[in-house]
Parts: sequence; C-alpha cells; structure tokens
Amino acid sequence: MCFKLNNPIKSLIAICLLFSLTEIIANEVNIYTSRHYDSDDLLYKDFSDATGIKVNIISGKGEALIERLKSEGSNSSADIFLTSDAGNLWKVQKEGLFKSISSEKIMQSVPVNFRGPNNEWIGIAKRARVIFYNPDNVPSKDIEKLSYEDLSQEAWKNRIVVRSSNNIYNQSLVASMISNNGIAATETWAKGFVSNFARKPQGNDRSQIIAVANGEADIAIANSYYFGIMLSGSAGPDQMKAANKVKMLFPNQNNRGTHVNISGAGVLRNSKNPINAEAFLEFLLSSKAQSHIVNNTYEYPVIDTIPPSPVIAQFGTSFVEDKTSASDFGKFNSEAIKLMDRVGWK
Amino acid sequence: MPLVAVLSSLFGEYSDNWNHLYNFVLFDYLRNSAVLVFGVSVLTLIIGTGTAWLVSNFNFFGKRFFEWALILPLSIPPYILAYTFTGLFDSYGTLNNLVRNIFELEQSYIFFPNIRNIFGAIIVFSFTLYPYIYLVARSAFLNQSRSTLESGRILGLNRFEISFKLAMPMIRPAIIGGLMLVIMETLSDFGAVEHFAIPTFTTGIFRTWYGMGDLLTAMQLSSFLLILVAIFLLIENKSRRNAGFVSDSSTHSPIQIERLNSRYSALAFVFCSIPLLVGFILPTSELMIWAIYYNPSFFDDRFLDAALNTITLAVVAAVLCSMTALLINFSVRINKNKILRLLSSFLSIGYALPGLILAVGIVQTTTFIDSNLLNKSSLALTGSLFGLVLAYIIKSYALSNNTISSGMEKISIGIDNSARVLKSSGWNLLGSIHFPLLKTSFFTSILLVISEVVKELPATLILRPFNFDTLAVSTYIYAAEERMRDAAAPSIAIILVGLIPIIIITRMIRSSRDKGAM
Repeated sequence: MCFKLNNPIKSLIAICLLFSLTEIIANEVNIYTSRHYDSDDLLYKDFSDATGIKVNIISGKGEALIERLKSEGSNSSADIFLTSDAGNLWKVQKEGLFKSISSEKIMQSVPVNFRGPNNEWIGIAKRARVIFYNPDNVPSKDIEKLSYEDLSQEAWKNRIVVRSSNNIYNQSLVASMISNNGIAATETWAKGFVSNFARKPQGNDRSQIIAVANGEADIAIANSYYFGIMLSGSAGPDQMKAANKVKMLFPNQNNRGTHVNISGAGVLRNSKNPINAEAFLEFLLSSKAQSHIVNNTYEYPVIDTIPPSPVIAQFGTSFVEDKTSASDFGKFNSEAIKLMDRVGWK
Repeated sequence: MPLVAVLSSLFGEYSDNWNHLYNFVLFDYLRNSAVLVFGVSVLTLIIGTGTAWLVSNFNFFGKRFFEWALILPLSIPPYILAYTFTGLFDSYGTLNNLVRNIFELEQSYIFFPNIRNIFGAIIVFSFTLYPYIYLVARSAFLNQSRSTLESGRILGLNRFEISFKLAMPMIRPAIIGGLMLVIMETLSDFGAVEHFAIPTFTTGIFRTWYGMGDLLTAMQLSSFLLILVAIFLLIENKSRRNAGFVSDSSTHSPIQIERLNSRYSALAFVFCSIPLLVGFILPTSELMIWAIYYNPSFFDDRFLDAALNTITLAVVAAVLCSMTALLINFSVRINKNKILRLLSSFLSIGYALPGLILAVGIVQTTTFIDSNLLNKSSLALTGSLFGLVLAYIIKSYALSNNTISSGMEKISIGIDNSARVLKSSGWNLLGSIHFPLLKTSFFTSILLVISEVVKELPATLILRPFNFDTLAVSTYIYAAEERMRDAAAPSIAIILVGLIPIIIITRMIRSSRDKGAM
C-alpha cells in the first residue's frame, strides 16, 4: 500500500527532472509574458522559423510572474519578461531583475522615453487612453479642446462612464496626472470627476464604449486598441455597430498630450540565453513584427517607419503624446490607488 | 508548508498601508464580503436542500433526470457564469435585445435589470455552488433511517412536520459541512467579483498587492481571511461532534418514497428546473452559440493538448487528494490522534485561500526546497507539475476531507470493534472493511476534486511549466483581453470535460447504492 502511494509522486518527480533536463540542452529562449494575445503566438512562430530558436512561454498575471521571478532568483530559467503595462516593467527594474540591453540596433530604433533609465527595458508597442463620444449627443465644438482635467467640471455631471479603479489603465492614467499636477490637485480633480459618473464603474473598456454608443452616457474613457478591435468586426457585428456610432478624441492636444502607455520587454539578469533574448527583442522591432502587432492588436507602433492599422489611423496618427516617463506610472501607482480610494472611485 | 508561508506574513512588519486600508476601504470590503456570503448561504441552502429533499423523498415527473442533472452546474466556474450572464442580461445583451425585437420596443427600453452588482454576484455564486449542498443533503436524506421517520408518523406528525422536525435536524451537520465549502469558495473567488466590480475582501487583497505593490500586506490580509475561516471550521467541527446523529447504518433500511399528486408534481418539477435552467442550460446555450460563431477553430488547434493536460492533472490530483484525506481520516479514527485532526482542519482552510496567493506560497516553498535541499544550481520542483499538483491538493483538500469524513462518521464504531475481535486492523481494516463502505464518498470526493481542478485558474497560470496550457488557461487568454465570445469555445470545453467525471461517477454512485439496497 505504501509503495503504491509513493509511485505517482516518484513519477511526478521524474517528469519534473525531465523538464529541467530538456531546458538545459535546447537552443531556445524562455519568456514570461503577461501579454496573452493569440497573435503573439504567431510572432513566436515566425521568430522560431527565422532563427531556429525555440520559444517557450509562460503567460500569466504580471505581478504574480514577478513574484515567481523573485523567488526563483539566480536559478530562474526565464530570459525575457514581456508585459502590456509600463508599471510592471518599472517593478521588475526596481527589483534589479533586468540587465541593460546592449544591442546598438535596438537603441537606434526605440526613442529614449520608451526605454528604461539604463536601457533595462524597451517599449514594443503603444496604446493611448482616449475619449469616446457620440456625435449625436455631444457637439464636437464642446469637446474639441478637451483635456482629462476638464472632466471634473460641473458641465459633465452624470455624463461620464469609466471602468473600476482596480484597472491598471486607470491607475496609470491617474499616476501620470500625479506626476504632472501633483497629488493635491489630482485629488481635487478626481473628486469632481467621480461625481460626474453616469453610473457606478463596471464592466471593461468595451462596455464603456458601448454605453456611449447607446446613449447611456456621453463620454467614455477607454484604450485605443479596444476600439480598433470593435471596429474591425472580429468581436462580432453588434460591437462593430456600436463602435461605428462613436468617435475617438485625443485629449490634452493643447498641452502635455494624450496619456500613452506601452507594451514592453527586457532581458532578465539571470538569463541563461542572453544572446537569443536580444535577438528576440530585435525581432520584435523588425518591420515585419511591428506590422504584425499593429494590424492584429491595433496598438500603435514604436518605430516611425511602420504606419498604424488603417482601422484606427483614420482618427489621426500625428497626435501629441504625453512624454511623461513610463517609469512614473509605476512609481506613482500606489499613490494613485490610495487617492482613488479616498475619493470613492470604486 | 505553503500555508505556513502565507501565515508567516503575520509576523512580518505592518506597513503604513494598513492605515490607509483601515481609514478608507477595509469596512467596505468586509461589508460586501459579509453580504455576499450571507446571500449566497441563504440561496444555496434553499436551492440545495430543497431540491435534495424533493428528489430523495418523492416521486414526481422528471425525478430520475433531476437526480443527476442537478449536479451539472458544478461544471461551470463562477467567473465563466459571470461573463455569460453579462452577455445575456446586459442592457444591450442577448436577452434584452430579444425582448426588444419580439415586442418591437424602443432601443432605450430595458427589460432585464443590470446584473453587475452584488445581487448579480449572489445569483452567480448560488447557482454554481448549490450542488455542494445538494450532494451532501441528498446523501444524508438517503441515509436516514426509516424507523426514525416512522416513529414520527406514529407520533402523529404529518409529512411536512416529519421533514422539518425530524429529518432536517438530523441532516443539519452534513448540510453545514456543504455550506462551509460554499462559503470558502465564495470568499476565495476573484474572477467573478472583479468582473462585477464589487470591492470584496479578496479584490482588496489583490488591489493591495498589484496596485500598492505591497505583497506583504496582501498576505497579511489573506492570513486574516484564513484565520476567520479556521474559526468557522472549528465551530462547525465541534457542533458536528456534539450533534452525534450516528444512525445505526447496519440495520438501516432505505426510506419510503412517496408519489406526489399531479399538482405537487408540477410544483416539484418547476422548483428543480429553475437551478438547472439558470445554472446550466441558459449559460451553456449562450456559450455554445458564441463558440460556434466566433472561435470554432479552437477545437482543431488547441483543444486536444489542453484537454489532455487538464484531464491528466485533474485525475492525478483527485486520486492523490482523496487518498490523503482517506488516510488522514482513517488515522484520526483509529488512533484518535489530535494532532492529525488539527492538521486536517488546517489543510481544509486552503480552500478559502485565493489561488494566486496560494501560488505565491507554493513558489516560495518549492524554490526554498530546490535551493536548500535539492540540486542547488537548478530548479527541479519550481515550475514543474509537482508544484501544480501540490497546489491542487491544498486547494481541494477541504472537498475530499468533507465528503470522506462525513462518510466515515456513518460507519458505526461497532464495525471497528467487531473487526478488531476478528484481528483485522491497520491496512487490512481500511482495505477490506472501510474502503468498500466508503466507496461512494471516495468517488464523490474524486468527482469534486476533478471538477475543481478543471476549473482552477489563477494558481495554474503561475505555477505551470513552459508551454503548458490547460482549458482554464485557454479561457483566460481570451477573457483577459475582454474577448468573452472567443473565450466561449474553451469555456464549453471546460464544461464538457467537467461533465465526464460527473456522469461516470453519478453512475458509479447509483449502481453502488442500488447494490447496497438489495
């Protein structure tokens, strides 16, 4: 009886050992990613086809992957950390888990404000947090020069929808405002902003856009690429219909610019395959990979030579971007959460 | 050990964030969690015991179908039901569009109310979790002794008085055990409450961790949750032991089943249909339509791999977990070992721990073993299936323990004593006497763990090896990107795979019971 009980455990350990052995001998690159897009799988396949380097993936929540990285320490088999939020890049950088990227090719392609302070990480795609409105209900002259700051004004009472403050995109937006306007001013703003909500925050970015399309509210804040997905029709005819009713507006065009966040990646300090890892990052910045990203996820490219997907390019490509360093989103995230708790942004 | 890793956070420093939590949000979290737990408890009790009472005591139209079909909602994870209900009941969701189209109403007309609030969450949890109560209540009703109920009749009680004055108090301990499972699962859930944007204790844990970057405070919050659950469990344990309704099962004869007249039969039919309709038929039909329309290619590309991984893991974890529970409970019974009994209760609280926090505890434990006890230069355990199976065992131990210990309570001590006279002890007693008597409980335990593992997401995400997908992971990959409709195909796959053990095991339970009745 005892022996029988032991058996599955033994075979499990054997399986584990097998796993760790295969990791030692193969020509590969190991990626921890919190981007889990189907289209990224195609990117990995393209990379493997082109270089013969096998790509191994674990995808999951960014924060939890960081915990796993920290615990694994110098024994970690991960080579690259890839994420869809700058705040997480900052956390890994702060833990000292990244090493500086050395490739000249990479440095030449990525602008400075989309890199870590010592080139620990780079942006691979951009997304803007923009305003959506229904032109039937909101005349365009009312909102031409709108900035995020204006949304606390009395005129917008019961007209705004936005998702819960649990959402990282809202946290980064508020963090960027703290970085620019300070905590006190941002808190005053947030109080007014929350009192203008048309409903209790709920649902995802797309439900906010749908609410505006259906006249439940006049203004929604959501990420640009969700709008691209809805317009493309890949999310079904009803979402496409809703998206066609609304327009996208870039706020803060007359001052610091629209809040932009990045998807990004860096090579990990304990990487066992650093050369393959940099080769992978170079590949992500190639025109082939960049076009693939912009046309599948509807993010904006980080390199100038590639145009965004025509689906979202129609709303303008040369908008003013907020140049606030992406590191600040991470730095002020905790303050942002507490501020949102204080003003009752659920 | 992973549980200890989490609890050890209590001895760490308490950061300033506690001040913030206390001043602004903690009471909101507690209130919402309390309302949620209370609402879910009441609703699951009504549905679970009500349906179990009907199908165990009466004959009515559809009874044999409901007997097993009422377990089906167990195959749907609460987070998937939450996504599906949003798609169904949203102001511009399937049902409201349907109503508007049929009655040619204006676009602004909204018939079904908004589901994204605490009442919606109560409904979502209740209709996915009531089977836990249904299962224990049904087996308790079936095991009632006929003689007790007949004495009630002799004393002049009518049918309902017998049920409420005699039957209910006797099955109360079993039901409370089931209710504990429901409460723990409700408390540990993150996906559904997050989707409905309800600030509960668990969302608070993650907000503190992700948003404030303060894992220590998050672990401390989790520890308080665990302690609270542990206190509940101790009270439950005590009350169960004090109740002491050990019926003399060796002379027990099955209860008499009454035929309902057509009016009551119709009422019973409606009462049993509602949970099945809301908890299973409605959501699976919606998912089915989405799956066929939006992402049918999933079944060609990824399904087989992910399904195989899921099934293998689920079966291995279920067998190990049930064996562990069987051995621990057996040792507790034979040796009257207090320490083991405590260990058993301690392991049970793992069920209330949010999966991601458990995953952090496991990663810390396995990396500790790897770097201190095993080969120091590589990670053999971390990121292997071992960690994953360990997580499942800790997460599901309460399910196994609950079914097996209540099964064991029904075995009369007299049997042990006679066995001892016949010089049967240890493995022999377990193998040839207890195990055959516990077969139903053991299979039920395997069933529950399998369906739990098939649904489990957050720990799987973090602990899995490279390139290793389960069905729940595939669902998450779409759901995280707000592509609920693409997530429908893997969701349906989860439900289908979860159905296999449910069907096999209900058959086994039924056949073993029929044999027992002969």
